[in-house]
Amino acid sequence: MNIHEYQAKKILSRYGINIPKGGVAYTPNEARNVAAAVSGRGPWMLKAQIQSGARNRGYFLEKSAGNKGGIRIVKSRRDIVKEAEKMLGSTLVTMQTGPKGKLVSRLYVEAFNKVKKIFYTGMVIDRMVPAVTLLVAETKDEEIAKIALTEPEKILKIRLDLQKGAVPSQIQEVLDFLHLEPKSAHSTENFINGLHRAFVETDATMIEINPTGVLRDGRLIALDAKMSFDGNALYRHKDISRLQDDYEADDRELQAAKYKFNYSEFDGSIGCIVNGDGLAMAAMDSLNSRGVGTACFLNVKGGVDKDKIASGLKIIMTNPKVEGILVNILGGFLRCNLIADGIVSAASEVGLNVPLVVRFEGTNKDEAKEILEHSKLPIIIADDMETAVSRLVQAVEESD
Amino acid sequence: MSIFVDADTKVICQGITGTQATFHVRRSLDYGTRFVAGVTPEKGGTTHLGLPVFNSVKEAREATGATASVMFVPAPAVKSAIKDAVEAELDLVVCIADSVPIKDMLEVRQLLRGSKTKLIGPNTPGIITPGGARLGIFPENIHQPGRIGIVSRSSTLTYEAVIETTRAGMGQSTVIGLGDDMIIGIDFVEALERFMRDDETDAVIIIGQLGGTFEEEAARWYKNLEHKKPIIGFVAGNAVPFGHKIGYAGDIITKGHITAQDKIDAMQDAGMTVVKKITAIHEELAKL
Repeated sequence: MNIHEYQAKKILSRYGINIPKGGVAYTPNEARNVAAAVSGRGPWMLKAQIQSGARNRGYFLEKSAGNKGGIRIVKSRRDIVKEAEKMLGSTLVTMQTGPKGKLVSRLYVEAFNKVKKIFYTGMVIDRMVPAVTLLVAETKDEEIAKIALTEPEKILKIRLDLQKGAVPSQIQEVLDFLHLEPKSAHSTENFINGLHRAFVETDATMIEINPTGVLRDGRLIALDAKMSFDGNALYRHKDISRLQDDYEADDRELQAAKYKFNYSEFDGSIGCIVNGDGLAMAAMDSLNSRGVGTACFLNVKGGVDKDKIASGLKIIMTNPKVEGILVNILGGFLRCNLIADGIVSAASEVGLNVPLVVRFEGTNKDEAKEILEHSKLPIIIADDMETAVSRLVQAVEESD
Repeated sequence: MSIFVDADTKVICQGITGTQATFHVRRSLDYGTRFVAGVTPEKGGTTHLGLPVFNSVKEAREATGATASVMFVPAPAVKSAIKDAVEAELDLVVCIADSVPIKDMLEVRQLLRGSKTKLIGPNTPGIITPGGARLGIFPENIHQPGRIGIVSRSSTLTYEAVIETTRAGMGQSTVIGLGDDMIIGIDFVEALERFMRDDETDAVIIIGQLGGTFEEEAARWYKNLEHKKPIIGFVAGNAVPFGHKIGYAGDIITKGHITAQDKIDAMQDAGMTVVKKITAIHEELAKL
């Protein structure tokens, strides 16, 4: 689960992380008032609060928003209102939002902090060790993703002890690597171990401070902040789960989440219902090898039953990109007749206007076939995944 | 021989009194698995499915000599259940639960370090030695004893691999689901080490998927291995596009973006046969 920058900063400040003074604004007037409250004079930062990286390099779909990105420096109070008017209610597109972009409904207004140096800080779990791992790099203007690909040696990775965090020798390693002055030593230690404590105590899966700034007096400051949390641990963090922004999730994604399904959308035309991520990927690969893309996949996970299939199918049928549906369920103790019942009930409720291929594996297969045949719905039954995929691709072509 | 478990392995079930556990332990008993006890804290002294129930793994082990456990405890209780099993020095623990918090798994891996206990899972169908022992939720009707080992990161694709051996007219020595989660217990290498030494395994199928570098590590290990048994591999995820996330930190850890093709290349370079479609495995098995 992701949260907004201003929410992440608030959490991190509780762990001793130094952040610029700032506040949230939903209207241009509010932006002006917040600006006055955080600093007597400019410049100020206006930051679009959408959950995405690279907001600064993004652009707005609306011409009225001007050709600057999602993070703007403003010098006068009058300009705050002007720029806030442009940004609020406009749609910001970044490398990570996809071409549709995301609507900006609130801004974070911050006092501008002059820094003499910036660098990248990340904290993440290296699953192969496994360990919470600190990442730092001197970045200047390059993108960290590009550095990771072309010059990985420019990124320092440090495995942190789960209980202790960074030890003094590791702090020194960071200072040396980033060419930080000795007067930053104390602040660096507080910063890294503050991030680590926040990471562990909130069950985070990712923290990114990009950029981290170094103030004139040597102290570090979090100029930006991103945090993601482990969805499986939210039950023990009621305060964080309340920060979930429903607007950020696609409608169908939210619906799927209600049933604890995983739902992902892509650019193709086939909707898949499966009961495992590996199976989903294999189905996508198989479609891809026939030149057909996946529109979405829905992983209904374990304990597949009639109701799960019916609700899953309904979610997929509401995706306008879907031109054909593949149901590929491999069950431990799955009774195929129940799956067939679920399909028939969903299809008769919402109407089946695209080809549907079902691949069953489990008990009561023949009974299931009978149910589907009896329903008079145009459902194709296949015995294995490859057959299912090729029959579906053929059926979609024929229906065009 | 098989690996990890066979018909003689004495097995306990942690969380035996739950609904899922009851259903699957009963099936496993019918299958011939040598269950000797169950563990449910505060229900010690009772019996369930004809098995004595103990309060702790240690008590169960002392009374029965059990060496392996399959646990059906819910995700929030996984960490303490594994701790219980590690302290009792079991050889093997199989954890079926999904949705275990990542931090709990970081702590579990700390517990396992330096212990003799091996963990399979979490979020796995478990381990099955056909005709011998079933620790988990495998549909036993698709299995038959044979000489092909299977180890898979994807639960559902494990079943596909089993079906492929059947299509080739072969059976399985042991089938292991490593688990779909971010942090798991044993990996490909630990399973393959045993399969390579096992007298009753002639060849191994490995099923990988996008995420992590488990396949690359297996390939590196296999490449340097002196006495190799054939490995047939499949990796899911080539068509999965990059994206759908915020921040870059996760990608940086794996040097940018690792594709399924990178994994396939590493596996082929190490001498494994990698199929493009999982349904082509039986053809490769027939060539052995």
